[in-house]
Amino acid sequence: MAITFLFLLLIGKFFYVQVISEKKLGYRALDQWTRELPLIAERGTISDRNGTILAGNAPSYSVFVRRNAVVDKTETCRVLAEVLGLDETSLRLRMDSNVSELTVARQVSKDTAERLGRYVLPGVYYAADNTRVYPYGDLACQVLGFTSSDMSGVSGIEKYYDKYLKGTNGELLYETDLVGIEVGDAVLYCEAEDGLDVTLTIDYQIQTLAERIMREACAEYSPKRAECIVLDLDNFDVLAMVSRPSYDLNDVPRDDAELLNSLSRNGIVSNIYEPGSTFKVITAAADIEESLKGNPNAFSVNYIFPDSRTRSVDGTTVKCWSTHANGKHSHQTLAEALNNSCNPCFTDIALSLGSDCFYSYLSAFGFGSVTGLDFPGEALGMLLPQTAVRACDLARIGFGQTIAVTGLQLACAVGAAVNGGNYYVPRLVKAIGAEEIEPVLRSHPISAETSAILRRMLEGVVSEGSGSKAYIEGYRIGGKTGTAQKYENGKIAAGKYVSSFVGFYPADDPKYLSLVIIDEPQGAYYGSVVAAPCAKKLFEGIIALTEQKKEGV
Amino acid sequence: MSHSSTRSKIDLPLFLAVVGMAIFGIVMVYSASSYSAEKQYGDAFFFVKKQAVGFVIGLVGMIAASRLDCRKLIKFRFAFLAVSLVMLALVFVPGVGKSNYGATRWIGFGSFTVQPSELAKYAYVLFAAGYVAKDPARVRRFVGILPLLAAGGSVCLLVILEPNMSVTMCVGLLMIALIFLSGTKLKNIAAIALPALAAVPLLIIAEPYRLKRLSAFLDPWANPKGEGYQLIQSLYALGNGGFFGTGLFASRQKYRFLPFAESDFILAIIGEELGLFGVLCFFAAAAFIVWRGIRIASRRDDLFGYMLGMGIVLVYGIQVVVNALVVSGAIPPTGLPLPLVSAGNTSLIVTMASFGVLLSLSSR
Repeated sequence: MAITFLFLLLIGKFFYVQVISEKKLGYRALDQWTRELPLIAERGTISDRNGTILAGNAPSYSVFVRRNAVVDKTETCRVLAEVLGLDETSLRLRMDSNVSELTVARQVSKDTAERLGRYVLPGVYYAADNTRVYPYGDLACQVLGFTSSDMSGVSGIEKYYDKYLKGTNGELLYETDLVGIEVGDAVLYCEAEDGLDVTLTIDYQIQTLAERIMREACAEYSPKRAECIVLDLDNFDVLAMVSRPSYDLNDVPRDDAELLNSLSRNGIVSNIYEPGSTFKVITAAADIEESLKGNPNAFSVNYIFPDSRTRSVDGTTVKCWSTHANGKHSHQTLAEALNNSCNPCFTDIALSLGSDCFYSYLSAFGFGSVTGLDFPGEALGMLLPQTAVRACDLARIGFGQTIAVTGLQLACAVGAAVNGGNYYVPRLVKAIGAEEIEPVLRSHPISAETSAILRRMLEGVVSEGSGSKAYIEGYRIGGKTGTAQKYENGKIAAGKYVSSFVGFYPADDPKYLSLVIIDEPQGAYYGSVVAAPCAKKLFEGIIALTEQKKEGV
Repeated sequence: MSHSSTRSKIDLPLFLAVVGMAIFGIVMVYSASSYSAEKQYGDAFFFVKKQAVGFVIGLVGMIAASRLDCRKLIKFRFAFLAVSLVMLALVFVPGVGKSNYGATRWIGFGSFTVQPSELAKYAYVLFAAGYVAKDPARVRRFVGILPLLAAGGSVCLLVILEPNMSVTMCVGLLMIALIFLSGTKLKNIAAIALPALAAVPLLIIAEPYRLKRLSAFLDPWANPKGEGYQLIQSLYALGNGGFFGTGLFASRQKYRFLPFAESDFILAIIGEELGLFGVLCFFAAAAFIVWRGIRIASRRDDLFGYMLGMGIVLVYGIQVVVNALVVSGAIPPTGLPLPLVSAGNTSLIVTMASFGVLLSLSSR
């Protein structure tokens, strides 16, 4: 009896272990039976809107050593050190250490790997790897960003779209014994899934053009920074985005974190500045829209602003940059106020509309919030909360002071003001893999009619006002200059200005918007002198490109 | 005690079963050890050759023993026990005793080694059978079984000092079983068995490694690289086998994952390669051997032959069961070979010879 019982117990136990626990034990055991070699997924490429590859891959190899499978350690070390250019002593030390598998080298070129392949080296394994290559060096370097040595995105598009670009690594499973020596040739294969290609909205030709113009501006005015953005006004596709100084993506200064941080900063997205007169476009748009709506506090387009150079608000005095002497800035309508960039007129508008009304436009034009660009590190800008804003603040916001914006915010706001009143979410990527991304309309701050009136006024600024240095004979350009004094520690910094120009073309039915920001130019500093000619060259280039394209068709 | 000495034929089914089991053992030793032997000794047949030599010697010993007149063995009961105890004691003599895996269990010179505990089990069986047969009446009283206890206790003591927990356990179980079979009163059995059970915790506390093994047994996954390793590897092997196994020679665990794959844990490799089905077939074969053995012993009309036969069968049966319990994780891991199958010559030769004695009991 007892023996039978014991026997049944024994059989039961074996049944439990062998049949019932089979799967559970199997999964755990599989792990110890195999060693993996990674199959590295190819990172997706990044190309411009027309398919020009801006970030690609060159084939390379990773070299691994599985210590226990090495037959002749000394010889293996010698050959590896010689072919890969490594230090033999330290390699030997690593090989004698307790790790069962060590990575000897990554991103070894195909030639070197082939030379290594001529030796018979048991225990040495190769896996296909990739090296990131940027064919145009520093072109759009802050936009593209770079990857770490293990190929994960660190900045820019490489970072923001990393999860699509990186793909999924596969594995080769070798069956081995306890210490890692291969047994049999059974190999399990788990294929790598390559990353998706990303298509930017950037136009390689316009980007190249903008880079050249910014480089020339830097040579002429030696500014601290120079930035430029070109937007497609039909959908807010970013066609070009330049930030100088720049660096070569194929030779990233990884050792100097501070330098790298400043060079890789995409200023137009991450830096904020006081926009100055370019902001008057927004104030003008609010006034026209309110006037058309019949708001009695708004000034009609025919209204003549008072001639005085100053306005007194809350005991402080707002002055125009011009002396108003000899009949300058007299008898101005809104159009003429824009031409002359006359500060008191815009103070009048902001104060007359009042903070409720004016702030609703600031909000509709995206100030105080991020634009939503598909890019890491977008700054919010600085806008006084409506509850804290005093009349003297409101008066200055009217002409672009007491407010700080990113270049991107301003470009998008002006873009929406002149393209018929459509504020899209700006974007840098138009397709991931084969999937096209649809543009997203974010808000509708003003009517098409207001926008048309504003366009005519801004065309006047270029044809007969302060933006004349952006004028191109025979073509319709609209725009607005800006010259803002910089503040340091709460005081105006003497001789430090941000010169800017925001322009669009063609003025009657705008397709392209460009914003040029020159930070601390040396010598000249007026936006009309420093930034407007850059925009002119940019539009000339774009016009040449579009005409080339037309001829080509 | 006289009966006709007409010579009849030996029990052929038992003979064939034992030889078959030993040959199966050689095949499994080859499968379990070929890879590690190749890596360790440069010869895939290292263990198989040794096992084959042991098989031939064992076969000769078995046939020779089957031709003996076993009744004469009773004369050697004291001598055999004394020799075994001396050999067990010699294990502790420096230069003669051989250590391995933290225990001193072998004596020998050069490459020739013997594990005295393998002999001592049978010496005890012979002694007990002889003692009971000489005067069956005395074991009815408690005092009468004291010599049996003393002899068994001496063997246990020497074996446990090696230390070898599992053989101690086997000898202990054997002792209790033989005393039971001697026809003593049940209360006497209880008087021995209860203190013996109580001794188990003491034995565990005496050697710290046993405590570790016990905790490893209770939760092997708590320390999979340390104490739990062996049991986990054994379970991996059994789990990998499933119902029908991976096929002969197709074990994964033998690639140095499972320690003692060719000796104490060969049943795990059998379970892996031949599955639960193979394990059940093995159990059936082992049960067949036990059944044939009990049948032979039961047909004896002399008490000595009965006790000797039962003792030999018990030694085999107890070892199979304890080994299977260890391999399947039902009791804590101890080093005990699977008789007739595990690599290890002393065990193989002595076990085969003991079955020779059993066969001789069948023929007279």
